[in-house]
Amino acid sequence: MLSVKNIVKQYAAHRALDNVSLEVEKGKIFGLLGPNGAGKTSLIRIITQITAPDSGEVIFNGKRLNTDHISQIGYLPEERGLYKKMEIGEQILYLSKLKGLSTAEATKRIKFWFEKLEMGSWWNKKVEDLSKGMQQKVQFVATVLHQPELIILDEPFSGFDPVNADIIKNEILELNRQGATFIFSTHRMESVEELCDHIALIHQSKKILDGSVDEIKGTYRNNTYWLEYEGTYNVQSTNGIFDVLQTEQVKEKTLIKLQLRPEKTVNEVLSILLPHVSITKLDEVIPTMNDIFIDKVKGQHHE
Amino acid sequence: MNKILLIIRREYLSRVKKKSFIVMTFLTPLLIAGIYALIGYFTYKGINDTYDKVAVVNDNKILTEKLISDKNIKYEYVNRNLDEMKTSLKKSDYDYVLYLPNFTLQAPNNIQLYGAKQAGLSLNRRISNDIEELIRNQKLKESGIAQSDLDQLKTNVDISTKKIAETGQEEDSSAGASTIIAFIAGILMFMFIMLYGIQVMRGVIEEKTSRIIEVMISSVKPFQLMMGKIIGIAMVGLTQFILWIVLTLTISTAVVSFFANKDDIEKTVAVAKAGQAGTQLSHGSSAIAMQQGPMVDIQKSLAGLPIGKIVTVFIFFFLAGYLFYSALYAAIGSAVDSETETQQFMMPVMMPLLLGYALSLSVVTNDPYGPVAFWLSMIPFTSPIAMVVRLPYGVPNWELALSMFILVVGFIGTVWVAGRIYRVGILMYGKKTTFKEMFKWFSYKG
Repeated sequence: MLSVKNIVKQYAAHRALDNVSLEVEKGKIFGLLGPNGAGKTSLIRIITQITAPDSGEVIFNGKRLNTDHISQIGYLPEERGLYKKMEIGEQILYLSKLKGLSTAEATKRIKFWFEKLEMGSWWNKKVEDLSKGMQQKVQFVATVLHQPELIILDEPFSGFDPVNADIIKNEILELNRQGATFIFSTHRMESVEELCDHIALIHQSKKILDGSVDEIKGTYRNNTYWLEYEGTYNVQSTNGIFDVLQTEQVKEKTLIKLQLRPEKTVNEVLSILLPHVSITKLDEVIPTMNDIFIDKVKGQHHE
Repeated sequence: MNKILLIIRREYLSRVKKKSFIVMTFLTPLLIAGIYALIGYFTYKGINDTYDKVAVVNDNKILTEKLISDKNIKYEYVNRNLDEMKTSLKKSDYDYVLYLPNFTLQAPNNIQLYGAKQAGLSLNRRISNDIEELIRNQKLKESGIAQSDLDQLKTNVDISTKKIAETGQEEDSSAGASTIIAFIAGILMFMFIMLYGIQVMRGVIEEKTSRIIEVMISSVKPFQLMMGKIIGIAMVGLTQFILWIVLTLTISTAVVSFFANKDDIEKTVAVAKAGQAGTQLSHGSSAIAMQQGPMVDIQKSLAGLPIGKIVTVFIFFFLAGYLFYSALYAAIGSAVDSETETQQFMMPVMMPLLLGYALSLSVVTNDPYGPVAFWLSMIPFTSPIAMVVRLPYGVPNWELALSMFILVVGFIGTVWVAGRIYRVGILMYGKKTTFKEMFKWFSYKG
C-alpha cells in the first residue's frame, strides 16, 4: 500500500536519509526502528507530507503521494501537542475537520470514542487541565478519528501508564483487524514483538535491516539451547554433536548453554544425555528484538 | 481553501471569546469617554470655580483705574496697611496680598506679592500683565486719549482657517482639529500594528512550543496555517477597531453634547450680559467668549473633515500595514523556541515602525506636504502610520493610490518571504537561530 523508494533527505551538512526504500503491506503493522537521531522522524515527516524528499518518491495506493492523501493518513507525533487553552471536544472537532470530516460526522465519532475510552465528561475540559496520560488519549482519538487507512504512531506508548497503554494497544489491534495499516516508530522492543508483523531498522540514515519479525528472528537463531539437569555427569563438548558454551552450577542442578553443530538435532543431544542425567528443562535461546537491535546497531558502529 | 477558512475561524473565535478581549473592547471606550468627561468637567469647573483672590493694598496715588477681575483672578482693594494684611493673611480668605507702592509711571518698582503659598509663574505673569496694562492705559490717558477711544482699541482676534478643496470649495478646517485627528490616527495605527503583529508572533510560538504544529501541518500546508492565523487575527483587530469607533462615538457624542449644552447656556448668558452692559464689553464675559472660540471651531471643523474617508483609508492601511508587519512577526515566531529569544529579531522589525511613528507625529504633523512626509508615506515600512497622519490635512488622491499600491506590493513580498522562512522554522527546535540561518531557510527549495 505504501512504497518508499530511494528517499534522500539532506539538511545542510547532515544527511538525514540516505537512499531509504521500504514496502508497507496493507493491513499490516510495520515497525520502524532505530536509535535516536537515525532518521525515523525525517522519514515519517516525508510520508506525512510535512517535508518533501530531496530525491526519491513515495507511492501511496499506487499513486504518487499528494495532498489528496492527507485525509487517509493519521499521524501521532512523538512530541505530543494540543492547543492548551482549547476545549477538548472543540479541539478534536477542529483537527478532524481539517482532515475533511463534516461537523456532524466528527461529532458523532468523537462521542463514540469518548464513550469507548471512558472520556465521557471531557468535552468541555481544557487541555491544560488534563494529566499527561489523558492528553495522550485525546491525541490518540484525534489521530484515528477520521478513519485513516494508514496510521503512523511515533512512540505511541510513551506517557501512558500500563493500564492505559494496554487499552491503547487493544484499540490499535482492533483498528488493525478492521483493516487499518500501521507504521510504528519506536525503540521499545517489547511492543514491537507484541504488535509488529514487519520491521525495518534504520541506523545512521540508512536502512540496515528489513523483514518480517518471524523471519528476522529466524535468521538470528543460532541453534543455541539452555539445558538444565540433575546428576553428576560431566557434559563435555567432545561428542561431535554440540559444543558447551557455558556451564553454571545452581545447587544440585547444572545449567549449560549448548550450541548444536551443523546438521544435528536436539533429539540427538537428548539421546546422548538421557542415560546419564535427569533433564529438568530445555529452552531454545531465541534472540529478542532487543538483542537483534543492539547487535545490529553496535555492529554497525564497529564497521 | 476550506481549510484556511477553518483556521481563520478558530483563530478568530478563540481570541474574540477570551475575557480579556471582551473587557478591553468595552472598557477602552468607557475609559476614553471617562477621560473626555473628566477634561470637560475640569475645563468647565475651571471657568467657574477656581480663581485666586488677591487683596490689593494700594499706596499709589497715580493709578486711578483699578485692576480688573475676571474668572481666573479676583482683585479686591482693601483699606488696610500692608503689615496688617501680611499678619492676618493666613486667617483671611485672600490667597495673596498685592502691594502697590507709590511709584512713578516711569519706574514702577517695589511691587510685591505676598502669599500663603508660592505664587505660580502664570499667576505672576498674569498680575504683571494686568499692572502693565493699567500703567499703559494711564500713560495713554495722560497723553490725551479718551476712555472711549481706549475701549475701542481692544479687539479680539480669532483666525478661522479655511482650506480650498480640489473642487474649489472652501472647507472649514482647523489646524487644531486636523492635528488632533492625525495624532489619534497615528497612535492607533502604531498600537494596532504592534499589538496584533505581536499576537501573530505569540500564536506561532504557542503552536511551536506546544508541539501542535506537527499535527497541524500534517493536515494543512504551513502557508495555509500562517495565513489563516494572520487573517484571523486581522479580523479580531478589525472587530475591536469597529467596536471601539462605534462605542467611543456613541459615548463621547453623549458626553460632548452634555457639555456643549452647558457651554451654550453660558454663552447666551454672556451675550445677554454684554447686551446689558452696552458697548462696554466687560473683560470677564469676553474671556468666556474667547474660551469657547477654539472649542466651537474644532467641533465645526471636525464636522468639516471627511471622517468617512479617514476611517475607510485607516482601515485599509491598518489591514495592509498589519499584513506587512505580521508576516514578519510570523517569521520571527517560527524561528525561535520561546518568546524570550525574540529580542534580537524584534529590533529590526520594530525600528522602522517606531521611526515612522516618531517622525510622523513630529515632522509630518508640522509639514504634512513636505518631502519627508511624502517619502514616509510611500515607503511601506512607514506608510501605514505616515499616511493616516497626513490624511486629515488632505492628501492628493494620486499619492494615496500610489502609497496603497506600494504597500500592497510590499505585503505580498513580506508574506512570500515570511512563508518561506516559516515553513522551515516551525520544525526547527533547540537551535539558536541566526539571521544567516533564516536566510538559508529562505533559499531552501521546494
